[in-house]
Amino acid sequence: MVQSIVQRSAVSELRALLMIAKKEWFIFLRYPSWIIASLIWPVLFPVGYIFMAKALSGPEGTSLTDFQALTGTTDYRSFIIIGSILWMWMNATLWNSGMQLREEQMRGTLESNWLCPIWRGSLLVGGSLVKVLLSMATLVISVIELRIIYGIQLVGSNPGLLIFILFLAMMIVYGIGMAFASLVLRFKEANALVFLVRGIFMIFCGVSFPIEVLPDWMRSVAMWLPLTYAIRDMRLVLLTDVTLSQLLPDLLILTGFAIFLPLLGYGMFVLAERTARRTGELARY
Amino acid sequence: MMNTQLSQISWRSYGRAVLAIAKKDAIHFIRYPLQAVSRIFEPLTWLTPFYFLGKTFAGPEGNSGFAAYTGSNDYMTFILIGALLANYIAAVFWGMGFALKQEMDSGVLETNWMTPIPRSLFLVGQTIANMCITTFNACSMLFFAWLLFGFQIQGNVIYTLLIMIPLLLALYGFGFAFAAIVLTMREANMLVDVSNYTISLLTGSQFPISVLPRYVLPISLALPLTYGFDAIRGLLMGTTTLLPIEYEVGILILFMLITVPGGYLIFKAIERRAQRLGTLSMH
Repeated sequence: MVQSIVQRSAVSELRALLMIAKKEWFIFLRYPSWIIASLIWPVLFPVGYIFMAKALSGPEGTSLTDFQALTGTTDYRSFIIIGSILWMWMNATLWNSGMQLREEQMRGTLESNWLCPIWRGSLLVGGSLVKVLLSMATLVISVIELRIIYGIQLVGSNPGLLIFILFLAMMIVYGIGMAFASLVLRFKEANALVFLVRGIFMIFCGVSFPIEVLPDWMRSVAMWLPLTYAIRDMRLVLLTDVTLSQLLPDLLILTGFAIFLPLLGYGMFVLAERTARRTGELARY
Repeated sequence: MMNTQLSQISWRSYGRAVLAIAKKDAIHFIRYPLQAVSRIFEPLTWLTPFYFLGKTFAGPEGNSGFAAYTGSNDYMTFILIGALLANYIAAVFWGMGFALKQEMDSGVLETNWMTPIPRSLFLVGQTIANMCITTFNACSMLFFAWLLFGFQIQGNVIYTLLIMIPLLLALYGFGFAFAAIVLTMREANMLVDVSNYTISLLTGSQFPISVLPRYVLPISLALPLTYGFDAIRGLLMGTTTLLPIEYEVGILILFMLITVPGGYLIFKAIERRAQRLGTLSMH
């Protein structure tokens, strides 16, 4: 009778997953400058857009009426910051996911790790666990920082709805991250791919402007991007008195994306794994 | 017995070394085509939101609010000039700042420095390549930006190019010092990234500095690059400048006279330190 040395069970799989998460945690702690970066960027990144908006509104704020006509608010700072927080979250996830397997590939450890008798998805999910926790912590710190520095209140009158949108956004962001990791494994040039994907989100999703000013064809593209809905809904919840029923159509679309994208991400990962086994490209870089 | 040296050191040999270093950097640039293309198009992804942000604030008579601050309602040309110059700032911070560090990480810095040429020539060669590549990228970016957004230049381009000479020399002089400082650090990415972005912001690459809060404005006014941005916009767009343009040019020339020798001296001091401590092969 052929007997495997390894006794695979749900518990052993969970242990493996946690070990991968622990390894990622150690790597994170060994490069502490990331902690400082995650504190600085949420405040620094939107500065350019905020001050340009201030300049565009004029010394007396005369042009704010034009802004209000399109957005329903004169609070351009909160408007820009909500978009930029979600975009930065997406950006960080793309870098983390894109580089997670790629760095192992560069270090030459991916192939040997891949040979471990564990569920391959652990390699991706284990690392993502740490990244999810860190990005949540960064998000909370950002909200506090933005409150102190810009005086912006990012909690709103309906925190339950806000948390639900954030949960959907998280599923979407990590679904895209999984798909992205698989793409990087295949095409190798992570930097160029990150620039391309984050650029598309930056231009089409209305990170710093309302999508109503986009030409028709660009607005059609925006409607296929989940970040458009996440940013719009977050703004509505935080800056207006929107009700659940008013948001329902958008929430249904977001829920659809939140179910579909992680499945797509996992599907792409399985496909990338099969291709890599056939072509032996795991060890190449 | 007469001592003969294998290498015949002369100004011509120095020139050849500089060109060889520049050629090596140019080959590096061409070998990663996707990266090269993304360096042209990536700035457009930051510029496009500004274009649409401007549309959000535009009334029937255009961007009158912006005109009240700058004297011109052409916010896109304002931003594009800023983006063009910010390209050089980024090139100095990332290209020059990381030039030696990358060689150090690849393990070739020590062997390169053993060659019988002055060490500063490595940075001169890298500066030439960096300036050429950045100018190519910036011009390509401007071309595509013109196709996408359109922009108008009314002023004297020749004068502007003359103003850019002290500005760029000063910037690259600073790059000498920065490259040497980065060499002493193990993890410099964040320092480079944050410094580059902050300097670009404070010098007004993305907005008129008059909108800055009162406690930040003095820092911005203390940076000579601010006057470079301002003078070039004043010349090309007729915007209201902080000081008369000739004063701003004077500040740039003074900046150049300080940073070029200053950058060289800092580089020499750090080079001596690295030789003494033997840190060139560490990373």
